[in-house]
Amino acid sequence: MSIKTVSANPFSALGHFLIVSFKDIRSFSQLVGATLVQLFAHLPRKKETFQQLYFVANGSLWTIAFCVTFASIVTILESSFHMKIVIQNDSMVPGFASVLILRELGSVVTALLLTSRVGAGMAAEIGSMKVTEQIDALKMLGINPVRFLVVPRLIASTIGCVILSIIANMVCILAAMIVADQFLGYSIGLFLTAMRRFVDFQDIIFASIKAFCFGIVIPLMSCYFGFNCKSGADGVGRATTQSVVFASVAIIVLDFILSYTFSYFY
Amino acid sequence: MKSGVLFVNRLGEILLFLGEVLKTLWKRPCKLELVLEQVWHVTIQSFPTTAMAGFFVGGIMTVQFAMLVSEFGASAYLGGLATSATIREIGPMLIAFMLSGKVGAFTSAELGTMKVTEQIDAIRCLGADPIQEIILPRFLGIIISSFFLLTGGLMLSVIGGSTLGILFAGINPQEYVRHIPTILGFPSLMSGLVKCMSYALVLATICTFMGYFTTGGAKGVGRSVVNTSVLTMVTIVVFDWGTSFLGQLLMSWFAVG
Repeated sequence: MSIKTVSANPFSALGHFLIVSFKDIRSFSQLVGATLVQLFAHLPRKKETFQQLYFVANGSLWTIAFCVTFASIVTILESSFHMKIVIQNDSMVPGFASVLILRELGSVVTALLLTSRVGAGMAAEIGSMKVTEQIDALKMLGINPVRFLVVPRLIASTIGCVILSIIANMVCILAAMIVADQFLGYSIGLFLTAMRRFVDFQDIIFASIKAFCFGIVIPLMSCYFGFNCKSGADGVGRATTQSVVFASVAIIVLDFILSYTFSYFY
Repeated sequence: MKSGVLFVNRLGEILLFLGEVLKTLWKRPCKLELVLEQVWHVTIQSFPTTAMAGFFVGGIMTVQFAMLVSEFGASAYLGGLATSATIREIGPMLIAFMLSGKVGAFTSAELGTMKVTEQIDAIRCLGADPIQEIILPRFLGIIISSFFLLTGGLMLSVIGGSTLGILFAGINPQEYVRHIPTILGFPSLMSGLVKCMSYALVLATICTFMGYFTTGGAKGVGRSVVNTSVLTMVTIVVFDWGTSFLGQLLMSWFAVG
């Protein structure tokens, strides 16, 4: 990012990088700590929370359902292709595809889409509040900006992400079922039987846990970059971009960690 | 009904804009240095993100496939299956999602700020063509560099997959790599590369379009940034399905003939 401001000496560049990232990590964990304290110290603002929940869940529902449908269609077609290569027939496809959808695709694609829609929106909103000094005005009035802005978004995004991922999983399975029935020649009953053999109830629980974690990460990242927004229209744009990028990377890394952890429970 | 009309309207606008850009490319191409400068900027900005995303996508696919494959005692095929699934489908899609947040949002914010602060009108006033001077270098630069970024991400996904093969499934790298050529044939590789190419085209078109037609001040810039990443993701998913479908159609034709 800041290659131009750092001198050519590699040790100096490394030191600069370490200091900057240490400061970033410290202020991010301060924000997380403040949010946790405020989350349990006061009751959340009901009206704002419901407005945010409407924005997160209802606003993204159709986009997510649409994208996830196509993603699941591609998944089942591709896994049929692979199965035919490896074990010469594709009789395992419904089970494999439903496992893949429930464990990975549903929650991750939902979370990435939510990042780009909701996370970017939140970062732009809070960033422009910061630039127009509305957050300083809140502090002047004795209102804690974390309690006023971050906590409602955190609650709304967590609930919204869990609900949306459940809906996305349902839509995914339904689309895969229809495609398997129409193009691959598995009747719906066969699909459900195969799914019953491969999928446990704990898969659904784990998918919801994943979505819960992703829903916590998105607003925290967006609010952090929004609060640290540099002044000017350029700064808001950069804050939005950074929040989307960091939240997406965090989601992929978190998904990796969670998959690795859950693999010991199967 | 109304949203359907809006959708067709937007689609037509984007296609007309793309036609305009391609016509400019054919008739009045921009300087090569401008394109190379954009390629450098985009690549240097996004390479760490893309590399990291590619590494972890490969790792995730290996972990998931290891659990499925070990049930059948077919651990030897793990490397081939995970690599094939990553390169054919999941890898390009997830890395392109990441790029739409990074490159797409940045470019549309930059162009949108230019538009809102009337710099684009100033260029037109000076008698230059803004599409030739500003849009075309970014368009070409994004296409070239995101194609290479996606390919680099896919290469790193193989490394990530084999690392997780060692750590998680206890398969040494030679064993992991050995079955990749048997499963990942030339058509699969081509399908992955065609997907990367089409996502690069989608990304470049949508972010330049959204930035160039921004209206409404600083708030408008924020709106066009959000719209860019959402629209890019939706289009990428649709193109993912389209290219897979087309690939299967072509393969079935060639298999018959």
